[in-house]
Amino acid sequence: MNHAKIFVGITLATVLLSGCANYGSSDNSATATKADFNTALIAANKSLKAAAHANYVWRDSGKILKKAAKAAKKGDFKTAVKLANKAKRQGDMAVAQSKDQATAGPQ
Amino acid sequence: MRHTAKTISTATTVAALLGTLAFSLPGISIAEDASAIAEGKKIAFNKKKGNCLACHDIKGGKLPGNIGPALSIEGVAMKDRFPDKSKLRAQIFDSRSANPNTIMPPFGAHEILSDAELDKVVEYIYSL
Amino acid sequence: MKKVAVIVSALCMLIAPLAGIAANPDQDLKNFRKHFTEKFSSVPLQDFTNGVYSVDKASREQWEAFEDFPPYEIFVDKGNVLFNKAFKNGKTYASCFPKAKKGIKQNYPFFDKKRGEVVTLELAINECRKKNGEKPLKYKKGKMAHLSAYIAYKSRGHKGNVKITSTPESMAWYDRGKKHFYAKRGQLNMSCADCHYYNAGNKIRADILSPALGHTSHFPVYRNKWSLASASGDGMGTLHRRYGGCNKQVRAKPFKAQSKEYRSLEYFHTFMSNGLTMNGPGIRK
Repeated sequence: MNHAKIFVGITLATVLLSGCANYGSSDNSATATKADFNTALIAANKSLKAAAHANYVWRDSGKILKKAAKAAKKGDFKTAVKLANKAKRQGDMAVAQSKDQATAGPQ
Repeated sequence: MRHTAKTISTATTVAALLGTLAFSLPGISIAEDASAIAEGKKIAFNKKKGNCLACHDIKGGKLPGNIGPALSIEGVAMKDRFPDKSKLRAQIFDSRSANPNTIMPPFGAHEILSDAELDKVVEYIYSL
Repeated sequence: MKKVAVIVSALCMLIAPLAGIAANPDQDLKNFRKHFTEKFSSVPLQDFTNGVYSVDKASREQWEAFEDFPPYEIFVDKGNVLFNKAFKNGKTYASCFPKAKKGIKQNYPFFDKKRGEVVTLELAINECRKKNGEKPLKYKKGKMAHLSAYIAYKSRGHKGNVKITSTPESMAWYDRGKKHFYAKRGQLNMSCADCHYYNAGNKIRADILSPALGHTSHFPVYRNKWSLASASGDGMGTLHRRYGGCNKQVRAKPFKAQSKEYRSLEYFHTFMSNGLTMNGPGIRK
């Protein structure tokens, strides 16, 4: 029981810490954990959902996220995090693009 | 045991991040050498990467488009058209800065090319 | 839910004029047309229905030679058979499209006031099937494209007659389509207009970009590219199939065929070619 509690505490702390490390660029981090990937995945999904809401999703974002999940399945969390972050950035850029183009019309 | 492993992994992540911040300042790593130019040409001609020929005439490229200005002009060096290399880079990175209505894709801003790829393309175009 | 959508779109229309984006389809059409007739001053207006071949004399001859033995003919024939084949209930498509043999394509798409949405020919075909207890067809190719090709063929010679009703709802659809046409999207950050309005006639690699004026008159089209991709060599595809391809080329996620987005785009896009003669199906690279 005690052990379990400690473990949960550690996991949480790790998620928080690695979450902070993710902020910016964890693309070049030497290692990544499953928790890192989960954090990155949640952020990517949120971003792509916003892009979908704006009708502005990019072609390859879904594919990139699928590749990320595949890498995570193989235990390659470094690649998985890198790809999830890439998908997130695409979602963010698509949302920014939709705002930029909100008043598009003939020039 | 697990605890130790995770602590180490987190520490490594943080260390790696710091390392990234310290050493990845853009634009200082590429030497202006022949191999960068050759690699840049490959990226520029690759349909899935730069695909510059879709819109620009470049010496040695087959069936170029004519949407954008020719990049190879007989007797006019790119160095003279863009004396400041950083301006050429900025144009390829995000040409919307110069013209918001441009059809030219923002190769850097939209991560169509990575920073390293973009640097090589700049070296190549600058050599024209 | 539908009511909410109606109210929202009505509200949008109230706000739109305040924001200075009040739509004026007739003025839009004039400006749109002027752009192309000035850019290609030697091309007669009706010739824009020939798409890229109206502005690319070099490939026109080859294309005209294709028209001597048009590869779409067998698919028009297939469409003809389908059109006249009885549903399980004994009725045919003629029960939904009584004037199809005299030509109806020129009136599509139209805004259905009762339903509050734009109805395209392909949507109407599937609704006819549903009404008669048949399963819907896929929208991009195959039987749907054959039926559409047959109806387009029978409509040849009629002039595009899309009506933009001035209700707030229909204007919202029109505006959405217009915005889709001019807004940049995808990783490559390009709009329909970037290629087919501002750069029509220019070369993208070895291909000449077709003018958007006259695009819709010759759909559905038989494309060599699609024929090569099909096991049976069936190169027929609908307008929304082409829209999806264009979106993918600029690295944007395509919308579904017959989605609100593409129906809006078709509404705007087809209205811009009003008065131009129907000449579908066409042959394209």
